[in-house]
Amino acid sequence: MGMNRRRRRGWSAREALFTSLLAACILTFASPNAAHSQTTTFDPAHSGQDDTAARAQRWQALQKAVFGQRTVENDTASLITLDAPPRALDAALVPIGIELAPGKSVKSVWLIVDNNPGPLAGHFTFGPKADPRSIKLRVRVNEYTYIHAVAETTDGKLIGVEKFVKAAGGCSAPGGADDSEALKSMGLMKLKLLNEFSTSKPMQAQLMIRHPNFNGMQMNQTTRTYTAARYIRSADVTYNGSSVFHLDSDISLATDPVITFGFVPHEKGQLKVVVKDSKNDTFDQSFDVPAPVS
Amino acid sequence: MSRAFSLSSRIARCATVLLVAGFAAAHAARSAESTEPPPFAPEPEGYWTGAMSGPVPETLKGGKVIHLEELLTLLKHGTVATVDVSNKPKRPEDLAKDALWLPLPQQVIPGSLWIPGAGLGTVERAVETVYRKRLSTATASNPTFPIVIYCHERCWLSWNAAKRAVSYGYRNVYWFPDGIEAWKAAGHKTVVAQPIEPKRVKPAAAKPKPSAPAPAGQSEVKPPAS
Repeated sequence: MGMNRRRRRGWSAREALFTSLLAACILTFASPNAAHSQTTTFDPAHSGQDDTAARAQRWQALQKAVFGQRTVENDTASLITLDAPPRALDAALVPIGIELAPGKSVKSVWLIVDNNPGPLAGHFTFGPKADPRSIKLRVRVNEYTYIHAVAETTDGKLIGVEKFVKAAGGCSAPGGADDSEALKSMGLMKLKLLNEFSTSKPMQAQLMIRHPNFNGMQMNQTTRTYTAARYIRSADVTYNGSSVFHLDSDISLATDPVITFGFVPHEKGQLKVVVKDSKNDTFDQSFDVPAPVS
Repeated sequence: MSRAFSLSSRIARCATVLLVAGFAAAHAARSAESTEPPPFAPEPEGYWTGAMSGPVPETLKGGKVIHLEELLTLLKHGTVATVDVSNKPKRPEDLAKDALWLPLPQQVIPGSLWIPGAGLGTVERAVETVYRKRLSTATASNPTFPIVIYCHERCWLSWNAAKRAVSYGYRNVYWFPDGIEAWKAAGHKTVVAQPIEPKRVKPAAAKPKPSAPAPAGQSEVKPPAS
């Protein structure tokens, strides 16, 4: 407190104003992000007017396509935190995290990669056994893009947040070296519980699904032809027969999807995963929770 | 009076702190970004047939590597053929009818030809014919006419296509590896282009039947490595 008082006495309003103006000057002239700096580093906020307008227009078009007449509100109450790397070197595996603030109940979440040709990467619809507060997954990014996460609250509102990601080429990147190998192990799944089992607390689990998720834009390394599209259309996760989440998905999901999600077990039981792909194949696997000690 | 004075002082100080914090954050973000290594791949002997997106070489045998400034100089002189060899988005088979499929229009450097497929490791014969023909027209069959080839950053398509142009005998082939991303980042205008493709007589008439995955243990016959 004493320190504070001394500082207040020693720093007149005029001085403070001068200092802040000085800081503003430094910020304007020294910041690499200043609008007039001749840098080739991409900055969405200071790119050409056309670019900014084009991005806004794209998001408008996508909102209309996905949500129709419903409006997506800005997240003024900090409901959603969207985690995405500002720059991802592997555009075929861009990690995304969606955190929802506790308190507000959320029915579903959309993840949209604006500039991908198939922009809707996933739509999670939560069931009674879900703890929707944290989801992680990996997506493909075709070119520099905004990524949007839109949550639908139980009172019917749509709330969206966005992040800009610099990555290019993920949609045509091959998933692995050998397509036939990838198809052989397709549908295998693994589940990892990320915290100690407890009946009273929500749990986090990491689900790994072997699936090449070919989008038809990848080249086979051996035959040098395009590999036929084959991708996950939906995934259903249930706990003791009650839904945790339903995921509608598309070609923007990365090869071998890894999905981290929360659920509320209440009692020991079984987590069942059913995955359907675009060739109408169904893969299912059940996991004991907690896993029996071996 | 003194109260008002102290309030304005507090506001000003608050603004200072915010500005300084913003300044620091901007720099932190930038330095975190610049620590990433710039990985270069060695030049392969032939065309690159691996993953098209990833680290690319620093050089191109028989051609010249250019960056934005050199590109702008070339464009200023006007007599240059620019070719974008980015892939064309392909609607996946079996995509549900109501699925969201909204590829963006292809944005290119003004004046560019967009020839998708010309930069693949193995080029389709019909695509190569189109590529050769278009290069020939654009350069008035003059082998010293400058040609700029690009696609995206960290993309082999343009490297392959540039190498191909060198093999056709063009002596001023410029490869612009920074791609459309660098062009846009510098605030330059782009225009929408339509793909230049060979005319398909019967587009996908014989649709291959979806084959079941090979059962485990049964290995597929692979063509002998050459």
